Amino acid sequence: MTQSTAIVEEKSGIGQRFDSWLLERVRRRRGPANLPFTLEYRHIYVLPTSFGVGFGVLLALMVIGGLNFNNNMTLMLGFLLAAIAQLTTLLAYRNLVGIRIEAIIARPVFVDESAGFRVMLRNPEERSRFAVRAVSPESVDCSDLGPQNSGQLELQQIAVRRGWMPMDPFRIENSYPLGLFRAWSVIVPQARCLVYPKPALHPPALPQTGRGDEGAAHQGEGEHFHGLREFQPGDPLRRIAWRTSARHQKLYSRVMEDPREEACELNWYLLGSGDTEEKLSILTAWILRAERSQIPYSLEMPGEALPAELGEEHRDACLKILALHGS
Amino acid sequence: MNDPGRYTILWVIATLCLALVPQAISMPLPVLIATSLPLLWRVGSEINRWKPLPALVRHGATALVLVTLFVSYGDMSGRRAAVSLLAVMLALKMIECYRIRDARFVVCFSLFLCATQFLFAQGVLMPVYAGTTVILALVTLAQLQRSEAWAYEGTPPAVKASWLSELSFSLRLVALAVPVGLALFVLFPRLASPLWGIPDTTLDSKSGLTDSMSPGSIQSLFMDDSPAFRVEFDGAAPPVSQLYWRGPIFWYFDGTTWEGGIYGVNATAADEPGEGEAGWDYTVQIEPNERNWLFALDYPTSAPEDTTLTMDFQLIRDQPITQLLQYRILSNPNFTDMPELISALRAQALDLPEDSNPRTRQLVRQWRQQTPGDPEFVQRVLDHFNREPFHYSLEAPLLGRNSVDEFLFDTRTGFCEHYASTFAVMMRMAGIPTRIVTGYMGGWYNRFGNYVLVRQSDAHAWTEVWLPGKGWTRVDPTAAVSPLRVQQGSLGALDSPRHLLDYEWMRGLRNRADIVQQRWNDWVVEYGAVRQAQLFAPLGLDKMTPAMLVIVLAIALAVFSAIVFPIVLRIKGPGSKDPVKQAWQKFLKRLEKAGFASSPAKGALEIAEAASLRLPSDSNDINRIAQIYTRIRYAPDPPPIAELRYAVHEFRPNKNAG
Repeated sequence: MTQSTAIVEEKSGIGQRFDSWLLERVRRRRGPANLPFTLEYRHIYVLPTSFGVGFGVLLALMVIGGLNFNNNMTLMLGFLLAAIAQLTTLLAYRNLVGIRIEAIIARPVFVDESAGFRVMLRNPEERSRFAVRAVSPESVDCSDLGPQNSGQLELQQIAVRRGWMPMDPFRIENSYPLGLFRAWSVIVPQARCLVYPKPALHPPALPQTGRGDEGAAHQGEGEHFHGLREFQPGDPLRRIAWRTSARHQKLYSRVMEDPREEACELNWYLLGSGDTEEKLSILTAWILRAERSQIPYSLEMPGEALPAELGEEHRDACLKILALHGS
Repeated sequence: MNDPGRYTILWVIATLCLALVPQAISMPLPVLIATSLPLLWRVGSEINRWKPLPALVRHGATALVLVTLFVSYGDMSGRRAAVSLLAVMLALKMIECYRIRDARFVVCFSLFLCATQFLFAQGVLMPVYAGTTVILALVTLAQLQRSEAWAYEGTPPAVKASWLSELSFSLRLVALAVPVGLALFVLFPRLASPLWGIPDTTLDSKSGLTDSMSPGSIQSLFMDDSPAFRVEFDGAAPPVSQLYWRGPIFWYFDGTTWEGGIYGVNATAADEPGEGEAGWDYTVQIEPNERNWLFALDYPTSAPEDTTLTMDFQLIRDQPITQLLQYRILSNPNFTDMPELISALRAQALDLPEDSNPRTRQLVRQWRQQTPGDPEFVQRVLDHFNREPFHYSLEAPLLGRNSVDEFLFDTRTGFCEHYASTFAVMMRMAGIPTRIVTGYMGGWYNRFGNYVLVRQSDAHAWTEVWLPGKGWTRVDPTAAVSPLRVQQGSLGALDSPRHLLDYEWMRGLRNRADIVQQRWNDWVVEYGAVRQAQLFAPLGLDKMTPAMLVIVLAIALAVFSAIVFPIVLRIKGPGSKDPVKQAWQKFLKRLEKAGFASSPAKGALEIAEAASLRLPSDSNDINRIAQIYTRIRYAPDPPPIAELRYAVHEFRPNKNAG
């Protein structure tokens, strides 16, 4: 994300200290946000932007000049603009208040990939919200929310380590309508994203397979419909059964299956006594390769084992075991 | 990445251009061109996607424009020049304005530019100019804010705001801000004395009467219809034909030009007329003219603040009048000015250049022998003007070295200064001490506003002769030539209109309309510390201190907030129409027409299910539309809104099916 640097630069030393102080305060006082979370009066702060400060200085000059020269029209202009600026604080606040954060979801990613946390927003009121932004230390997203409408903001966060990656605190903010004042709310989310180990770049060939990986003729996953189950973070979105989901007001995904006879055995113990992370990387790469080649695979890990199978669900289950290994 | 979005720059330029208008009118042509060129280039580059100019070209242009500015103005110390510098720099800023930051900078300084214009004019039309600029600036800032918010995001906004809705939004914002702005204006404590000095020159050019009089100098004022001052009389007012507003007085004559005298300016009034006998009590509101004279009727009894009352009853202010000024004067018309004339003054009042105007000299000598008495001689000269074919006209020919001779014997056509000057020379030749008085004569009595409006075109020149026992006595030779001038004012005395639209009814209309400006001046421009202190006099609070004002201001703001804030929290923003909802409503309406009424509380899919049962022949379409609607609302990868719109548009339920 190229924009991440710009956002970090935006904050000066004082701004950063203020932000971290505020974050601590929010953590202490409010704790992590329980979803759905509605932005209320006491969650929203309003402060001038740097443009707002500049504008204020200009207005002050105008008023001082007007007072000095006893120039009433200059004074009137200055006061009118000040009154307008003051009204925009209300509008900025109003543009946020009442917005509901319904859910935050993120699909699992591999180490070094960027995880996309989707913040699902709902505007329950009969008026639009303009240019509502979510800002995290690493990324920014913006959306308008129509009356009684939903929207989502996606925040990127680079996955550094495997395992559960908690979502960083972020701000929901806007500087509507003139950019003079920024109204914002700090959200400490409970959302987390599963991070799979990084697949090894040059893994050894798949063990105990009669077919090898040149036979990767079957692209994609199994296409046989197996059943429905409740949507879980990480389920592919194209698998969501929209019709059923809409009827039950809950997300459901289809489960697919494509059984095969041949299988390969992915065994932690057979990898010898190398570096743990390296071994996990190799296993990850193997799983991906087997899946691509449509070869059923079993996984055996210390304390855990999965029988040979194929399909996204199986793959995710295996990867999850690898991701959470040792934790 | 911080790109203000296509065409938003055009809004920025429009704001700047509007703010520039009054300044541009006063600019010398080269500066005007230098200001317009960068703006024109930027408009062209925005529309035609020209490349930004290289730095070398930009710096070159900047240098060139600055040189143009310095050459055109010569001296950069004046305020017009300083504001032009600001204007030109803003125009130059536009050629490198590609970021939101720069665009905002230009918009803010456009507002500042707007504020500087009030240094030059505070007329009743200025708020219209300022208001339009503010509204345009708000629309521009709103668009810039939107561009900025979306700067990191590629996807287009789901809710499109049209500029029209943004305009109405800005209007509402201004309307709601006005009460708070007004409260601040009325109650914000004013400075008793300025923090730093006010420069002497603020206006584009000095106006009004000058400190010398030569043929043509008053004539030039005659074309100027702008108000010189307005007078409100407290109690009785003299008839218009008696309104001689006394201004600069001249003692020296060099053959063509009359100028002031050392005695006139530097001496203070030796014996002031007592106030007890004062006849007229009035307040003058004088328009800024960058000159030092205050005008009063004969004879002002005392000088207003920061003003000297001279020996010959001129009121001379220490500082030039650079802002609307109000002063109150008591005048005593029944006062004998200098019953005794000291010899030095007499010599001054008789002084004439040698060897000029021989023909006049000859005539005066001849008449003087026939009429030795001073008052009789004065009357004789006036009679001469009255009886001989002298004309009061704007088309006075230029006069040479012996101007009095030429005027008296040859041209016989002239304006008040010709008559005053000729008369004064003849008096001095006859040994009667004489001085020239310039000022304004008459005025237009505005019945609605109960004030007298004196325009620059009412400028006049007359004389005062010193007569034993009577002191300085006013003699107006123009009145002898053209009694109409005194009765109907300078314009009524002319045979032909000065320009195309110069008719009596037009002038009347304009004089009546002046009341708006007069009230504006009175209530807004002149509002200050003194008025503020008296604001609550009707409530028994005679003198408001700044601390009291601040308390009242706080209360007023609290009250306004209580009223305005709930309104603000209810207004809708620009473009708050939701196209999805609109399409859905249209769909429901079509269903209703076909005979299916839905309850609004139900969800889309429930409605579709029920409607399908009622209208089985259309169940496919109904379900499809409900699907699209649900997906737009809830799916993470919603289909385009146009799909829903199109489906609804095509939807024609069969009425007879149910």
